[in-house]
Amino acid sequence: MNTVSLTDVASYLPGEPVPAEFYTEYPGAEDKLRHHPMFKIPPLRHHVAADETNADMIERAVQPLIERHGRDEIRNVDVLLVHSQLPDLPFVGAGTEVARRLGLQPEWLIDVANAGCASFVYMLKLARRLLTTTDARTALICNAQSAAGQCFTQSEVRRLAQAAIPGDGCGVGYVTTSAGAPVLDVETRHIGDYAGDMTVMLDDGRKYWEAGESQLRIGFTEASIAKVLARGNRLVPEVVTDLCGRLGVSTTEIDVFITNQPNRAFLRNWREALQLPPERHLHTFDQCGNLFGAAIPITLDRAIHSQHVKDGDLVVLGGFAHAGDFAGAVAIRWHSAQG
Amino acid sequence: MSADPSMLADIPGLMRIENTDREEMTAHCMDLTHAVYPHHQVYGQYCTIQEHVDCPPEQAYDYLRLGHHLEEWTYSLRGFAPTATPGLWVGHDRLEQETSIYCKVVANPEAMTVDYHCSWDQGDKLWMIYLMRVVPARLVLDKPGSVITWTNCHHPYYDNNPHPEMSPRPDRPWVGDYWDLFYAGHTVEMKNLKAILEHRHHGGLPVSVPPVTAVVR
Repeated sequence: MNTVSLTDVASYLPGEPVPAEFYTEYPGAEDKLRHHPMFKIPPLRHHVAADETNADMIERAVQPLIERHGRDEIRNVDVLLVHSQLPDLPFVGAGTEVARRLGLQPEWLIDVANAGCASFVYMLKLARRLLTTTDARTALICNAQSAAGQCFTQSEVRRLAQAAIPGDGCGVGYVTTSAGAPVLDVETRHIGDYAGDMTVMLDDGRKYWEAGESQLRIGFTEASIAKVLARGNRLVPEVVTDLCGRLGVSTTEIDVFITNQPNRAFLRNWREALQLPPERHLHTFDQCGNLFGAAIPITLDRAIHSQHVKDGDLVVLGGFAHAGDFAGAVAIRWHSAQG
Repeated sequence: MSADPSMLADIPGLMRIENTDREEMTAHCMDLTHAVYPHHQVYGQYCTIQEHVDCPPEQAYDYLRLGHHLEEWTYSLRGFAPTATPGLWVGHDRLEQETSIYCKVVANPEAMTVDYHCSWDQGDKLWMIYLMRVVPARLVLDKPGSVITWTNCHHPYYDNNPHPEMSPRPDRPWVGDYWDLFYAGHTVEMKNLKAILEHRHHGGLPVSVPPVTAVVR
């Protein structure tokens, strides 16, 4: 079996950082939980511009890869996998538009609409499988997150405590059949029992595409916050522990641990469960908020380029999606392609 | 009936729905909820374990109430005999050689609580107390049998033997040296208890048995 490497990652954050006051000083803002340690909102986050699409962000995020590896190299990718939140169009993903913009002609193009906040892990698994079982040799995997500046800035939603948590951004990974930064193993689980517990809420009951006054926001169905907390607490340590077990290493041997970052509670709980010190569980929550699926590649990119990831490090990326309908973790032995 | 709020006004730190709304309460609870808890945090000051046992609660309670059964389900308590004090028994804790354990059973049939008040070496102050309770599983788990809970509290004497002069020999380890293994040791004994009760109940045998040595009462 060919060795597949996560050769490089790059990212893009839209616009200038938006301070917390954008929400806290908004008329009618819910403020009772603002000072609570668990709900203390991130000082900064980024918002997409009004006319900025997922494809725009991906195009910008890929530029550093083009600069580092050459335009032709990126143009020749055989596999393009794209996960976007919110999708710009309800009937087609951003993938083909990304291919058009970047001049790609991939044999495999999949818009991934599942695995949410852990979709980078799932796309890495898909890419690895395609690169080891077909003629495909290189892949581009993309996570675009554009819900914060659109959904959460609406006049009514902006007042809610939940609105101040998300942030927008885009992270991309360049995956190749090489041995530089090998993907050691992947552990993923689709958990149908928890499907549909995260949903969009519209107070007047209209479908999201029907005309109306109500403003779309994200919410949970019968599955309460408590249930989702308990699931998240359990799922991420479980998949990471199983992954490490298969690799024959202890979780304490993870050098760099990067996850999705829904809130500070999960960051603290996962780190504790895996017995990792804070300096080994890297996140960008304070600068970027909850980046949904883009969190893992953005944080990884920033960690690599700020020298927080060293050659030879065991890097584990993990997370869970939505209300727990997916969980996954991947292990990589990092070596910089930049020498 | 409603509590008089003026009775609570001077008490700081109360979190009640009157002063803490549901969102704040949820936030506070999220803060208190971790994925894992260190052993010492859970079992450092109190050691509570619990088990479902498929044996009717009345029979489980009766079995625990009769102190001589300790010789069956505990790991190392053996050879109990009455002392001059009514209700106080003395036996051997074979965890350590030549070590006496004094024990008095305090049981409440209505609550189905059985407390073993014990001490090593002397019977004047029984400070090592095993608090057990039998709860009908039908009530709490909607299934037959019993839920048995067992709590020990970290009495200061566990850390400092109050009567080292009563030790059979100077180098004998102290019972409190084992505190950090109480969760494990008590779990083993609880499994013994469960196995005995279930074996007899499932086999249609009497759950309680007479003492090995008949005692003149």
